[in-house]
Amino acid sequence: MNKKYVIGMICILFFSTPLFLNPYWVDVLNNIGIYAILALSLNFILGDTGLFHMGHAAFFAIGAYTTAILNTFYHIPIILLIPVSGIAAAIFAYIVARPIIHLRGDYLLIVTIGIVEIVRIALINNVFEITGGSNGIFGISRPNLFGLIIRKPIHFFYYIWIFLGISVILFYRLRHSRFGRALNFIKEDEIAAEGTGVNIVRYKLIAFVIGAFWAGMVGNIYASKMTIISPESFTFWESVVYFCIVILGGSGSIIGVIVGSFLLIGLPELFREFAQARLLIFGLAMIIMMIFRPQGIIPPEPRRYNIKSLIED
Amino acid sequence: MEFFFQQLTNGLAIGGIYALVALGYTMVYGVLKLINFAHGDLFTLGAYLGFTLLTTFTFQEKIGPLPTIFIFGIIIMGLVGIAGIVLERVAYRPLRSADRLAAVVSALGASIVISNSIMLIYGARFQVYPHDLLPQITLSIFGMKVPFLRIAILFLSIVLMVILYLFIQKTKIGTAIRATAIDHGAARLMGIDVNKIISIVFFIGPALGGAAGFMVGLYYGELNFMMGWVYGLKAFIAAVIGGIGNIPGAMLGGLLLGVIESLGAAYISTAWKDAIAFFVLIIILIVRPTGILGERVADKI
Amino acid sequence: MFKKVVGLVVMFSLCLFTLAFAKSTIKIGLMCPQTGNWASEGLEMKRIVTLLAEQINNKGGVLGKKIEIIDEDDGGDPRTAALAANKLVTRGIVAVIGTYGSSVTEATQNIFNENKIIQIANGSTAIRLTEKGYKYFFRTAPRDDQQGKVAAKAIKKFGFKKVAILHDNTTYSKGLAEETKHNLEQMGGFEIVFFDALTPGERDYTTVLTKLKAAKPDVVFFSGYYPEAGILLKQKKEMGWDVPFIGGDATNNPDLVKIAGVEAAKGFYFLSPPVPQDLDTPEAKAFLKAYKEKYNELPGSVWAVLSGDALLAIVKAIEGTKSTDPDKMANFLHYKLKDMPGLTGKISFDEKGDRVGDLYRVYMVDENGNFVIQP
Repeated sequence: MNKKYVIGMICILFFSTPLFLNPYWVDVLNNIGIYAILALSLNFILGDTGLFHMGHAAFFAIGAYTTAILNTFYHIPIILLIPVSGIAAAIFAYIVARPIIHLRGDYLLIVTIGIVEIVRIALINNVFEITGGSNGIFGISRPNLFGLIIRKPIHFFYYIWIFLGISVILFYRLRHSRFGRALNFIKEDEIAAEGTGVNIVRYKLIAFVIGAFWAGMVGNIYASKMTIISPESFTFWESVVYFCIVILGGSGSIIGVIVGSFLLIGLPELFREFAQARLLIFGLAMIIMMIFRPQGIIPPEPRRYNIKSLIED
Repeated sequence: MEFFFQQLTNGLAIGGIYALVALGYTMVYGVLKLINFAHGDLFTLGAYLGFTLLTTFTFQEKIGPLPTIFIFGIIIMGLVGIAGIVLERVAYRPLRSADRLAAVVSALGASIVISNSIMLIYGARFQVYPHDLLPQITLSIFGMKVPFLRIAILFLSIVLMVILYLFIQKTKIGTAIRATAIDHGAARLMGIDVNKIISIVFFIGPALGGAAGFMVGLYYGELNFMMGWVYGLKAFIAAVIGGIGNIPGAMLGGLLLGVIESLGAAYISTAWKDAIAFFVLIIILIVRPTGILGERVADKI
Repeated sequence: MFKKVVGLVVMFSLCLFTLAFAKSTIKIGLMCPQTGNWASEGLEMKRIVTLLAEQINNKGGVLGKKIEIIDEDDGGDPRTAALAANKLVTRGIVAVIGTYGSSVTEATQNIFNENKIIQIANGSTAIRLTEKGYKYFFRTAPRDDQQGKVAAKAIKKFGFKKVAILHDNTTYSKGLAEETKHNLEQMGGFEIVFFDALTPGERDYTTVLTKLKAAKPDVVFFSGYYPEAGILLKQKKEMGWDVPFIGGDATNNPDLVKIAGVEAAKGFYFLSPPVPQDLDTPEAKAFLKAYKEKYNELPGSVWAVLSGDALLAIVKAIEGTKSTDPDKMANFLHYKLKDMPGLTGKISFDEKGDRVGDLYRVYMVDENGNFVIQP
């Protein structure tokens, strides 16, 4: 009870901050929010299931471009496109993951790098003539929620962070469901899992697809926030950032991942004064973090099972 | 037909460089199961060190360009090798017992640190190697014009690789390396100082990468602090194609990647060149996941 | 945690510092790439703008107040740029200079426009940036369609018939390549034998060159950047292929000759607004002299010099309207600013915010590696 009270207080405090901050800081929080949701979706694949995935930006890109293309060509409202982008990314993930899902850890990692690079190059080369090449797509409209147009950083703050809240609840439920337990089993010991009858190929694929679906939806939010998207936002390095957020934050832990986003995205903004050395400090911070706390800032809680109720007959 | 062969030779020359850099990746992976993302930046370090050496010490005039290059090459290999050892001590050794992914993040951090340090020291602008150090002869083989230097680079790469291969196969230390690559614990039981072996590997791999960087600087002339990124990624693909952990595999992978890239660019499109390379990588991994020559590590049953 | 606190304290004190100066200076923002792929451009932009500001301040400033340049790193990518823009907007700037890279600039356009801050871009040539009706947006850089026309005209003048066009898939380069192609097709009488891209950042372009050679063009037009141009020229010479190459304005940089070597660069043509060395206004010469004294080298990039012109235009607008009101300044810049002597020539803007005037000249590299302007 106490813990929930504390979390509740923090949430209320947090949600009232934009009223006191200037738009720049609100926008920084928005960015943190977007990365946090992306990292949560990657966390499902990487942290909960243990699949080495460094190509998450590809799913994000598919979602963003789907929204951009359908919105600029057919004028479909943004809000309606949220699930559509998710589905597009999910379908892409399924097609791409199906042939490679049985690969061993490191090899899967390498293939995912290949995928994200291929997607990026395809976008730059204006594949199927609809992606706008390296110019990208512009003129994406803003989301229109029952008449309220979400335009300013403060609007986006609530839009993004409420979405994040919903995501957190959903991922939490997933993690503590039977499905989540199966994924955890796969992460800990794949062979034993298979031995007890868990269909690892099917579960891994589903994990990928769900993670991709979520990333696709974030792509929609990102597109409507920036109103222009270009291939530069979806590089391998972006994937690396999500990856680091998950690992640094605590792979598998929802709170850890959110804290990780704050650190990895918020800190470089605080360090803008150092201009050129900014990235250098960032790199050093990564190394030091890993050496002193390799399990991440807030590692996932060990699972608890209520034994008494299981023993009772 | 001439077009095909010309592109083929182009590809082989590029492939030689990929192969050299790939060796570093493959050795480190074999021994530590770690993908050293900072390897490409050590390659860049080699190129920049060469630049500093060539512009500060000008004894080309006294003893001629070739001996100078040879001496500098050895110095660079030594320096970058030491950098490799330092890197291992600082960023990887403390994480030996931790989750593998933590080491990956550390490697990425190291990559950022090295490339940005180079940028801060040397500046963001491109640097250029002094010209006219090496003879710019172009040979004519079977009617194709091939610059002599490209053949020299390919030749040197092969020589270095053969030396490395013999070292690994025939010497005591080489055997120790192979043992460590199979199982650290068992190697220790045999009396092998695993830490020392790992340090040795982190000397040799980066040294080769640094040599490759020096050669690239000498041949192509132009440097910038991000150059390691592209070479690193390609070399990594090459190592995987050939079978990661496998030395002849790295060489084969490098040459093959160079040729595929070249022919892909020539016959399909130059703009899609990299995508083609990645695509081939994925196909190979699906069809033969352990790479062409297979990896040399026993799998857990 | 500690780092966060230190960072916050630093930020806070810096904010207090700037607040202290707020009343007595005119703040002008500079958004430039200080990290990332184009860090070298950003560095020169910063140097040029700060030196110019110093010079203006030494002469008494503007409207009696000193100029303060507030710079932010846009990282060369749209997302960081949007954050930089948001940050600048909260710092009380009256106008902003920047930036390099059309898609990077584009990400910041509506942020500045919504906040009514004059934005003058120095290195963004994509046509559509001024086609959106943003009242407060200007640029000192020319547009890709102008350069495309000049490129086509030059090719025609030289008498080439079979043209190969090579770009590097960036917004700028592909745009320029397409404009040139479009113009050549309109003029008629040309055959485009090759149209493809290379990957920037690599070192070995022998594959591309071999393919180009097989297409047997009379001339190759390369719309990419100078590092690749330098390598192309060098490797082309090694192959023993001597078809002439023409470059777009991003190939203009003294390092081009350094990279290619004088022998290989000889005979290379390129289009460019006048290079810093060729700027013949007395203002330009004096400025270049001062720059060389301070930094020991001449600026390499004409885009960075264009950022200096952006600053001059802003200062002129403030003086001309005796205010820092954005609407008055915008009006002034659109209609009242005529032929202001800038570092790169005379500056005026049209209703869309584009720079007026024919900027592009054809240059050739001579046997000593010098860039010689052609009639």
